[in-house]
Amino acid sequence: MKHQSILEYANFRWFKVAAALSAIAGFAYGLHDPSTKPYGGSALGYTLGTVAALLVLWLLWFGVRKRLYRSTLGTVQGWLSAHVYLGTALLVIATLHTGFELGWNVHSLAYVLMVLVVASGFYGVFVYLRVPGAITGNLGDETLQSLLLRMADIDKDMREKALSLPDDLFRVVERSVVATRLGGNVFRILSGRDRGCPTASAARELPELAKRLTGEPANVNKEVYTLLLEKNELLARVRRDMRHKAILDLWLYFHVPLSVALLAALAVHVTTVFIYW
Amino acid sequence: MTRSRAGKPLQAKREVQGDLLRVGRAASSEIHLPDPRVALNQGLIVFRDGLVYSEGDAAIVSHAQTTRKAVRSVRLKPGASVNVGPYRFTGVQAPEGYDAALSIELVKPLAEAASGLATRASRLTLASLRLPKRWAAWALALAVLALFFALPAGRILDLPWRAASQSTGITGDRFWNPGPMILAHQPIETRCAACHTAAFQHVKDRACLECHTAVGHHVGPELKPAVLFEGARCASCHRDHKGVRATHRDDDGFCVACHRDIGRKASSTQVENASDFATEHPAFRLSLLEGDSVRKVRQGEDDLTESSNLAFPHAPHLDPAGVKSPTRGRVRLDCGACHHPDASRRAFQPISMERHCRECHRLEFEPAVTSREVPHGKPAEAVNVVSDFYASLALNGVKDSFEKAFGVPGEGLLRRVGQPSESQRKVALQLAERKADRVSADLFEVRVCSTCHEVGRNDAGWTIAPVRIASRWMPQARFSHRSHAQSKCADCHDVARSLDSSDVAIPDIKTCRECHTGSKPVEKKVASSCMLCHGFHDAGHPWSPAKPGAVAEARGAR
Repeated sequence: MKHQSILEYANFRWFKVAAALSAIAGFAYGLHDPSTKPYGGSALGYTLGTVAALLVLWLLWFGVRKRLYRSTLGTVQGWLSAHVYLGTALLVIATLHTGFELGWNVHSLAYVLMVLVVASGFYGVFVYLRVPGAITGNLGDETLQSLLLRMADIDKDMREKALSLPDDLFRVVERSVVATRLGGNVFRILSGRDRGCPTASAARELPELAKRLTGEPANVNKEVYTLLLEKNELLARVRRDMRHKAILDLWLYFHVPLSVALLAALAVHVTTVFIYW
Repeated sequence: MTRSRAGKPLQAKREVQGDLLRVGRAASSEIHLPDPRVALNQGLIVFRDGLVYSEGDAAIVSHAQTTRKAVRSVRLKPGASVNVGPYRFTGVQAPEGYDAALSIELVKPLAEAASGLATRASRLTLASLRLPKRWAAWALALAVLALFFALPAGRILDLPWRAASQSTGITGDRFWNPGPMILAHQPIETRCAACHTAAFQHVKDRACLECHTAVGHHVGPELKPAVLFEGARCASCHRDHKGVRATHRDDDGFCVACHRDIGRKASSTQVENASDFATEHPAFRLSLLEGDSVRKVRQGEDDLTESSNLAFPHAPHLDPAGVKSPTRGRVRLDCGACHHPDASRRAFQPISMERHCRECHRLEFEPAVTSREVPHGKPAEAVNVVSDFYASLALNGVKDSFEKAFGVPGEGLLRRVGQPSESQRKVALQLAERKADRVSADLFEVRVCSTCHEVGRNDAGWTIAPVRIASRWMPQARFSHRSHAQSKCADCHDVARSLDSSDVAIPDIKTCRECHTGSKPVEKKVASSCMLCHGFHDAGHPWSPAKPGAVAEARGAR
C-alpha cells in the first residue's frame, strides 16, 4: 500500500471540512454589518468566538486521544489529520473573531498564543513530512543501537591494534576511544556535531604523525586509520540521527506548553469579557 | 559453530540450497546472522568453482554513506576465512554429495562489545535530558491565570487582595481593556469601575447618565419613550472600546429599521416613513410660530403662511434700484444688510429694530418742529414722550415752533408777559393734550408704528401685537449655513418677489436634492445619510413659548 501522509488522509476529507468552515466564516464576516465595527462582541463575533473556543478544546483533546490506545472513535491518523486541518481553520476563525483588533491586553494574549501554537504546529507538520525520509536515508537498514555496537567493536579492534604503535599515535587513538562523546546536552544533540570530537581530530592528526613510520608499524597504522575513518563516519551518522530525532521532538516542547498556556489565556479571556460585560 | 565455556567447539550443521546465498540480519537471508552489528543485507555467497563471499555495492548499507565499504570478494577455499561483522566465515572441506561447506563462528559476542562508548552514550534524545515540557506547561498556564485573572479580579470579585489589585499598575485590570476608548472617556479609562460596577452584568444606563445628564429621549413624552424603547440600553447603540472617534456608527440602518415603517413601531406618531433621502423622504414639515404655539405644516400640503405680527415685505427692500434713506439717498440692500451670521456662523443673529430698521424707519412724531423720536418698544412710553413734548411746547415753545406745531398763532404760555391765569393754563394744556392725542393716533395707527406692526387699542391705550420671528423652521434638522457658504442666498431662499411677511422662504426638499442624494454615492452629489441632518437624541423644539430655557430643562429632567 502506498504510504499516505496525514495531510491526504481519507482523500483530503479534513482539508475539505476545514476549507468549508473557513469559507463559511469568511463569507459571514463579509456579509455581517455590525452597528459599530466588526468585533468579538457582535452576534457574529460571539458565534465565531464560540466556534473557535470549542475548536481549541477539541484540538487540545488530541493530546488525550492519542494516548487512548483502546479508543475506537476514529483512528489516531484521522484525528491527527483533522487536528492539523481544523487547527488551520482555527487560525482563520479566531482572526475573524478578533475583527482585526489587537492591543496590549489578555484578549490579544490569547490570540497571540493561539497563533504561536498553530505556527509551531505547522512547523511540526513540516518536520514530520521532511525528517523521517532523512532518518531513513541516514540509517538505512541500521538502527542507532547497531551503529553504537559497531563502533564499540571498532574501538576494541582499534585499541588492540594501536597498542603496537608509538606512544604519540597510540595516545591519539586512545583519546578517540575514551573521550568521544555522544549527546549529553541539548546543543550537542540538536546541532548534530561536536566541534572538539577526539575521533575527528584523531583522523586529522594521524596521517601527519604517521609519516615517519615505515615497515610493519606503517601497515598497522594503516589498519588503525581505516578503522578510525570508519568510526568517524559512523559517529557522523549517529549524530545526524540524534539531530533528526531531536528535531522531531523539539517543536513539541513549544507546541504543548504554549497550548496549555493558551487554554489558560482563553479561559481568562472568556471570563473577563463577561465580568466586564 | 559456537564454543563452550571452556572454548571447545560445539557444532551445529545446517544445509542450504540456492544459486546464491544471501548473508545478513534479514530473516529472509539464507545465511541469517542475528546480530545488530550485521547489516540487513550484508553480502552474498555464490558458487564459482568453490564458494565466493562478496559484499560491497550490492550490500551497501546506505546510499547516504560517503566512505563506502570497499567492494570485497573473498574465495573461501578450505582454510580461508573472512570476517563478516562479528562473525568469521571459514571455508571447510565439502562433505560427500555437497558442493561446498562453510563454518560460521561468532567471534565477537555482543556482551563483550557493549562497552566503552556504547555505555557512555546514554543521553542521545531530548526525552533523555528530562526537559521540562509538562512543568513548563503548568508554569505558563499558572502565570497567565495569576497575572491576568486572579490579581486583576481582586476588585470586582472582592477577593482578599482587593487593595493590592487596585494599586498595582502592572497587574491591574487594564489588561482586560479590549480596545481604545473614545477621547471623551479617556480620563476614566483606567477606572474600569466607573462603568463596570458589578461583575457579570451589563453596563447600566445609570453609569452613563451620571455624567450625561442632559441626554434627551428620541421622542417626546407623548409617545411614551420608555415603552417604545423598552429593553434598549445606552450600550445597545453606543459601544465603547471601539476606537477613539466614536461609540457608534452614523448608520442609516439604525434609523431605517424603524422609520421605514414608522407607523408599526409608533402608531400615534405624526412623522412619515423615510428610508433614504434620495428615494423615500417626506416633504419638509415646518414648525411655524402662531401666537403662543407652534404649528407644524408640511410643505405642499397646507396653508404655509407665517404670522409673525410684523409687516415686512422682502421685495421692496431688495429693490435693485435701492431704497430711499433719509440721509444717504438711495441705498441698495442685500441679504447681509440685515442677516448677520452669529458666532457659530451656522445661523444668524436675530433681526433688531435698532440695528437694522431704524436708520430708515425713524420714529419722528413732529418732524416739522423736531427730530426727536419716540422710544421703540413700549407704547405707553411713546405716548408719554409725545404728551410731554406738546405740553412743554404749549408752556415754553417759541413762537415759530408753537405755531408750526399747533397751527394757531401764539407762543408758549410762560413766554407771555405777566402771570398766566388758571384758565389760560387750562386752555394751553388742553391744546397740548388734543394735539398729542391726534399725533399719537397718527403715529400708531397711520404713519409710523402700523407700517410694520399690528396696532390695536384697548382701555389702557395702544397695543402692539408681539413680534414672533422664527429663527428655526426645521428644528429636527441640523443645518449649517457655514457649510453652504459657497451658495448664494437666493439659490435656496426665493424672497426677491415676496411682498408679504407671511411668505415662508424655506427651500423644499427638491431644492436640497439638487445637491444632496441618499446614503449611496451618486456622481456630482453629496451622499447624505440620515445623521447628516438629523440627530437621535435631539427631541423637542428649542423654542418654548412657556418659558425660555424650558426645553433644555425638560430634556435634562428626562
